[in-house]
Amino acid sequence: MVKQKILEVKNSDVTGTVNDFLKNLLKSGKISALLVSQSVPSRKVVFPVLISDPDKLDAKVFAPLLPASTSKIVSKITKFQPSDKPLGVVLHPCQIRALIELVKLNQANLNNIIIIGVDCLGTFSLNTYADFPEKKNPIDFILDDFKSNSDKSEQFLRSACVVCNQPVPINADIIIGLFGMDINKEILIEAVSDSGIKILEDLKLDTFKDVKKREKYIEDLIGNRTKKLAAFIKDKTGNIDIESLTSFFDKCVNCHNCMNVCPICYCRECLFDSSVFDAEANKYVKKSESKGLFKLPNDSLLFHLGRMNHMILSCVKCGLCEQGCPMNIALMDVFIPAAENAQKEFKYQPGKNRDEKVPMVVYREDEYVEVGEK
Amino acid sequence: MNDEKKDIEKDFEPKIVGFLCNWCSYAGADLAGTSRIQYPPNIRIIRVMCSGSVDSMYILRALLEGADGVFVGGCHPGDCHYIDGNYKARRRMVLLQNILATLGLEKERVWIRWISASEGQKFADTMKEMTEAIKKLGPNPISKKWNI
Repeated sequence: MVKQKILEVKNSDVTGTVNDFLKNLLKSGKISALLVSQSVPSRKVVFPVLISDPDKLDAKVFAPLLPASTSKIVSKITKFQPSDKPLGVVLHPCQIRALIELVKLNQANLNNIIIIGVDCLGTFSLNTYADFPEKKNPIDFILDDFKSNSDKSEQFLRSACVVCNQPVPINADIIIGLFGMDINKEILIEAVSDSGIKILEDLKLDTFKDVKKREKYIEDLIGNRTKKLAAFIKDKTGNIDIESLTSFFDKCVNCHNCMNVCPICYCRECLFDSSVFDAEANKYVKKSESKGLFKLPNDSLLFHLGRMNHMILSCVKCGLCEQGCPMNIALMDVFIPAAENAQKEFKYQPGKNRDEKVPMVVYREDEYVEVGEK
Repeated sequence: MNDEKKDIEKDFEPKIVGFLCNWCSYAGADLAGTSRIQYPPNIRIIRVMCSGSVDSMYILRALLEGADGVFVGGCHPGDCHYIDGNYKARRRMVLLQNILATLGLEKERVWIRWISASEGQKFADTMKEMTEAIKKLGPNPISKKWNI
């Protein structure tokens, strides 16, 4: 069957067109429930909902907001037992990558899960989205910005999104495509996997023809973002040293929120929340005597470096840690360079290949020989 | 000031924390001792069951608490008592050193070496080598940071 089809957009209502498509999936029983973002009653922000009643569906698939890690939500739903009924999950590309990592780490089960990936235009922080300064609402703003090919929305994007060079979903079953499309008229619906093909096969839709245009658009976009990413890393790590690193976390209040919102940090009890580092009064005094003084609560740099060591190879650079930080520490300034360098070292791309194991559980006998020799 | 600094560096005796695996490196250190081979007393040895059980956390904590160097000793590749612990330790060390380098910290302060139970002389030589190297690097600048 034809894998790439188009949804015809009526009255330039992109969101409505996708919602009709999703409603159809629910009504036809091809999926029993759908995890998708929908406006909360105050309409201030959108949040993921698990929806089974098609009449109540009012999804905001293109809302430029990632309030919480949706991959972690899929993990929460499926980790004890896979779903018996087909469950659709609409995810940002970074969250699909994170979900694949969680599957590798035995924290999620993709049986009966239909991943619907959406071309990502980038997301705003929760606060920017809730108190959006422009006259239009954020969804119309970013879609209009995309239609007119301008970059006015970049000033509102989270820093992780500005330098994201993976805005096209990989490992999805179905892709809802915007890039290279004239979205006043049509949106791409692409079946990627077998289960995606099964769902789309009897939908009467036109075949997508302008494949070249989309491919060219994506190539240019990724090329452009890759350059931005390289410049970002150069800028942030060019002058980094012990002085700047230790003062980087000065505002940290040890709330561990970056860990709680991270899609990759899945440990039910984190080492840093445990009593491993608790000690008797005498030991605190002794530590104070060795340096003369020390800041409390202590071990904040140890927490960040330790957490980084544990999760960085699976880091999908979604930037939720930065969005979750109550003190607005620009965590991506260190996590993006660290992730890029470490993943390059192990030639590992998180979320890319479902069958590839995470680097820390495998080894080759003939690798890194020099490390233990001299 | 400069003279004072030089004096400090001349008298600088590095503190090295060593994680030695029970089956090879710890026995190697033991052999160095029973064979009365002299080596610098800068290392503080912690016996662990396997180099593969040394989480990067322990190494980082030692560095941040003020150790001037951290040494991890394991069995030679292929000789691990638990079959592949040292291969995993090696990967972890590569990751840790990569992160330290990205963040502008000195990865030269963290070493991993393979020393078998029969290599008392190699243990002593490695300790000499590492102590000299850390002396050249000077005191760990993090040890003076109280705001971390």
